[in-house]
Amino acid sequence: MTTSPIGRIGRETDRVDGPLKAAGGARYAADHQPEGLLHAHLVQATVGRGSVRRVDVSRAEAAPGVVAVFTPFRPLPLNPPSPQQSGENYSALQDTAVRFRGQVIGLVVADTPERARDAAALVSADYAVTPSRTSLADGSPGVAQGVVQKLADGVPSIDAALAASPVTVTTSVSQHAQHHIAMEPHATTAVWVDDHLTVYTGAQAPQRAAATIAARLGVDPAKVRVLCRYTGGGFGQRSPVWNEALLCAAAARALGRPVKVVLSREQVFTAIGHRGAVRQTIRLGADTDGRLLALSHESDGELPAAGGWQMMPGRDTSAVMYRTPNIRIDQRLVTLDTPPTWSMRAPAEAPGMFALETAMDELSVRTGVDPVELRLRNHATEDPVEGRPFSSKHLEECYRVGAERFGWSGRRARPRSRTDGDWLVGTGMASAIYPAWRQSATARVRFGDDGRVTVSSATSDLGTGSFTVLAVVGADELGVPVGSVDAEVGDSALPPGGVGAYGSSVTTSTVPAVQAACRAAVEALVRAAVENPRSPFAGLDPAAVRYRRGRVEARGRSVDFRTLLHAMGVPLVEAVGATDPNTTSPYRFHCFGAHFCEVRVHRLTGEPRVARFTSVFDVGRVVNAKAARSQLRGSIIWGVGHALLEADPIEPDGRFAAATMADYLVPVHADTPEIDVHWLDHPDPHISEFGARGLGEIGLVSVAAAIGNAVFDATGTRVHDLPITLDKLL
Amino acid sequence: MTQHEGITRRGLLGMVGTAAAAATVPLGGGSAAAQPDTGEVTVRMTVNGTATSLTADPRVTLLDAVRERLGLTGTKKGCDRGQCGACTVHVDGRRVVSCLTLLATLDGASVTTIEGLADGDRPHPLQRAFVDQDGLQCGFCTPGQIMSAAAVIAEGRARTDDEIREQMSGNICRCSAYPGILAAIRQARTEMR
Ligand code: FES
Ligand code: FES
Repeated sequence: MTTSPIGRIGRETDRVDGPLKAAGGARYAADHQPEGLLHAHLVQATVGRGSVRRVDVSRAEAAPGVVAVFTPFRPLPLNPPSPQQSGENYSALQDTAVRFRGQVIGLVVADTPERARDAAALVSADYAVTPSRTSLADGSPGVAQGVVQKLADGVPSIDAALAASPVTVTTSVSQHAQHHIAMEPHATTAVWVDDHLTVYTGAQAPQRAAATIAARLGVDPAKVRVLCRYTGGGFGQRSPVWNEALLCAAAARALGRPVKVVLSREQVFTAIGHRGAVRQTIRLGADTDGRLLALSHESDGELPAAGGWQMMPGRDTSAVMYRTPNIRIDQRLVTLDTPPTWSMRAPAEAPGMFALETAMDELSVRTGVDPVELRLRNHATEDPVEGRPFSSKHLEECYRVGAERFGWSGRRARPRSRTDGDWLVGTGMASAIYPAWRQSATARVRFGDDGRVTVSSATSDLGTGSFTVLAVVGADELGVPVGSVDAEVGDSALPPGGVGAYGSSVTTSTVPAVQAACRAAVEALVRAAVENPRSPFAGLDPAAVRYRRGRVEARGRSVDFRTLLHAMGVPLVEAVGATDPNTTSPYRFHCFGAHFCEVRVHRLTGEPRVARFTSVFDVGRVVNAKAARSQLRGSIIWGVGHALLEADPIEPDGRFAAATMADYLVPVHADTPEIDVHWLDHPDPHISEFGARGLGEIGLVSVAAAIGNAVFDATGTRVHDLPITLDKLL
Repeated sequence: MTQHEGITRRGLLGMVGTAAAAATVPLGGGSAAAQPDTGEVTVRMTVNGTATSLTADPRVTLLDAVRERLGLTGTKKGCDRGQCGACTVHVDGRRVVSCLTLLATLDGASVTTIEGLADGDRPHPLQRAFVDQDGLQCGFCTPGQIMSAAAVIAEGRARTDDEIREQMSGNICRCSAYPGILAAIRQARTEMR
C-alpha cells in the first residue's frame, strides 16, 4: 500500500488532458498538416466475393490535382501479415482477390482531400463474382475451437447430466454484427524524412503498431515511430494496424511526400473490423431450489475468410461464473465472406454473459427463486472447471450493496404487474464478470531541472484516462502535487515495453511499473546527489541521504530536486522501471459486478426505455474516482446500446445493411438513464502490490441481460434476439 | 441549418437526411461572388473575430474550410453527414453542423469555432465545467458538445435535465460521457446566467 502525504490514490482528480481537449487544442491523427502534404482516399470493392478483373483509372488520373492512383494492377509493395498474428490475413492491393464487400482495392492520391475523394469516385472496376457466404445460421454449426469440459465422477456426458436434472432451461440467443464507432474515424498521416518514417495514427499499442508497420513495409523497426498522443476512442478497433495506415505509409514512401488518409465514416464500417455476429445456446440443469447441476454453453461465431478476431463467448463467462459440477463449453466458428471481425469492448464477455444471465433469469422464473438469491445459491469461490481460487472476490457484497441502493427487496416477481400511466414497468438484474489481465510493463520517470516530473509509458490513452493514472500514481509515489507531473503516452519511441491499451489492463499492468520507475528514479537522484562533486550532498553515504516529497535531505539540509539539479549542472535524472507479472500464480484474476435496472415499455407503442440503473463493482483498487466513474457509466451506456439499439445485419450479397451513423444507432444523450455506479474498496492482494484489476470493460458485461430481464418483468415477453426493439414487444 | 429545435432523435435523423440532400444541390443565387475562370468562389467572413477571405471550390464545406484551409483543427469530423454533431460551430450565433454548411453560403457571416470560445486566456465556463464534471473521455466529440451546449444554454433550452438530454442528442459521444456532459451544462448554466 502506498502511504504518501499527498494521498491522491482513489480520490477525485481532474483529467490532466481535459483543459487542452476542452479548448480544441488536442491534435488527433488527422489534425497534423506537415509541409507538402498530399491527401489519399480509399477505393473499396463493390461486390461481396470474387476477383478484380480490370480497374479503369483513366478518368481518375485525368481529374484535377490527382498525383497517383494505386490498384492491384499498380500496387504499393507491402509484405503479407505474419501468420502468427490474428487479424486480416492478406495485404491490400497485393492480389486481385475480393474477400468481402468493402475490401480496399485502390488508393487515389491528390493535392486536396476533395479532389482525392472525387477522383476516387471516378475509379471503376470489373469483377468476376462468386456467391458470398454471409448467413451465420446457414453455416452453423461451425468448426469447434476446442471444447472445455468438466464432468462429475460417473457422469458420462453433459447431456446425461442435463437429463438427470429436475429442472432444465434452454435459452438460444443471437446478435448481429456490432461496430465500435469510435468518434474519430480512422486516419493516418505518414511522413518520411530520409529513411525514417513517422506515422500519426490512433494506436492502442503504439510500439506494436510501429513494429507491424515496419514489418509490412520491410523497413528497420528502429526507423519507424508511431505517435498518437490524442486518439478519439479505441474500444479494440485500434489495436491492430489496418490497411489504410499501411497504404498511407507506402504511398508516402513511393511519392516522396507526406500523405494523409482519413476514412469516411461509411468506410470505417467495412475497412476496419467489427464485433462478429454470434448465436449461442445455454442449457441449464438445476434442482428445484435453483442449484445448478449442469451448464452447457454452445456458440457459433462469425469468422471472416479475410481473417479476424475469434469470437469465444463461453470461455471467460460460463466456464468461470457459477459453481456447478458439470460444465461443457463448445465454441464454434463459421467462415463467412464478411469484412474482418475485431475485438470490441468486452469482446466475448458482453455477448457471452447476455446468454448466461438471460438463461439464469429464466431459471429464476422456472424455480420461483429470486434472481439475487439464485445467484447467491450458485456463488463460486473457485473457478468451477480448474478449481483455482479467485484472487479476490466480493461479488456477494456487490449483490447486497446493489440490491440495497436500488431498492430490490420490494420486488414482486409477477411479469406485467406494474404500470405507470401508459408505461409497463419492470426491474431486472444480472451478474458481471471480466478477466483481469496483467501484462509486463515499463515506465520512465524523470526529474527535470524545471522542477517538473515526467512519467512516461508507451501505452495509449484512448480517453481511458491513462495520462491521469500516470500523473496521479507518479505524484503519489514521489509525494509531489499532481500539477507538477507531466504524463507522456502514445509514442512508440518511449522506452520499450509499453503495454497495449486493451483487455482493461493498462492500469493493472502499468501502475506497478510506474511505482518501480519512481523508486528507481529516486535512487538515481540520491546517487547523483552523493556522487556529483557540485552537489551539496557530495561524498555522503547514500544511506544517510533521503528523498521526501520532492526534496533531498541529509544532515539537516533539505534541497528541492530542481535546485539540486541546477547546483549539479545536470538537466535531468531519470530511470526506467519494469515489472513482469508472476504468470504462475495459483489464482484466477477476475473483476465482478452486479447490475440492477428499471425498464419502462410503452403499452401501445412497445418502445422500451431504461429508466434507471444501479451497478456495484469489485475491481480492486481504483486510481482516479472521477475517471473510473465516467468509464463505468460509459460502459453501462454501451450496454444500453447492446440491449436496445446496436445491430448491423448482413445482406446475402455481403453488404452491411446499416453501415452509416444514421442506420447504425448508438446511444445518444436522450437514451441515457439515471446511473448510480458504486465500487467496493477491496484492493486485490495477489494481482500486484497496488491491487488494481482494471475497469474499462466490466461495466458493459451483462447490462443487456439486466435490461432484457427487466423487459421480461415489465411485459412478460422474453426477447432472445438482440437488440430488443419495439417491434419485438408488440 | 440548425441541428435541431425541440425535436426527437429520430426526427433529427430524418431532418439531417433532408439537409444532406440539400447540400448536394448546385448553388444558385448565393451571395458569394463566382469567379468564372476557376469555378472557385471567394467568401469574406469573420472567423473567431478575425476578418478572413477564402477562395475555394464551391463544394468545400465550412468544416473542411476551417480545418484544412484555416488550420483550425479543433472542429472535428466524425461523420461528414450531419449525423454526429462533432463538427458543430456557431454561424451568426446559431449552432450549425459545419459538415453540412457550404462555405460558399457564408459571405458576410460571423463564424465561431471552439478555438474562439474562450475569453482570451480565460476558458469559457463550459470549457471549465467539462473538465470539472469529467464531461469528456477521448475528447473527440468535445468541441462539438461544447459549441452545442453554449448555444443550447443561450437559447434558454437547458432548463431541465430532460430538456438538456433532448437538446444535446444531436451530439454523439461514443465514450458515453453523457452524465458528465449533463452535469457540466448544469454547472455552466448557472455561471453563464
Ligand atoms: S461531422 Fe458533421 S455532424 Fe458529424
Ligand atoms: S469523449 Fe470520446 S466521443 Fe465523447
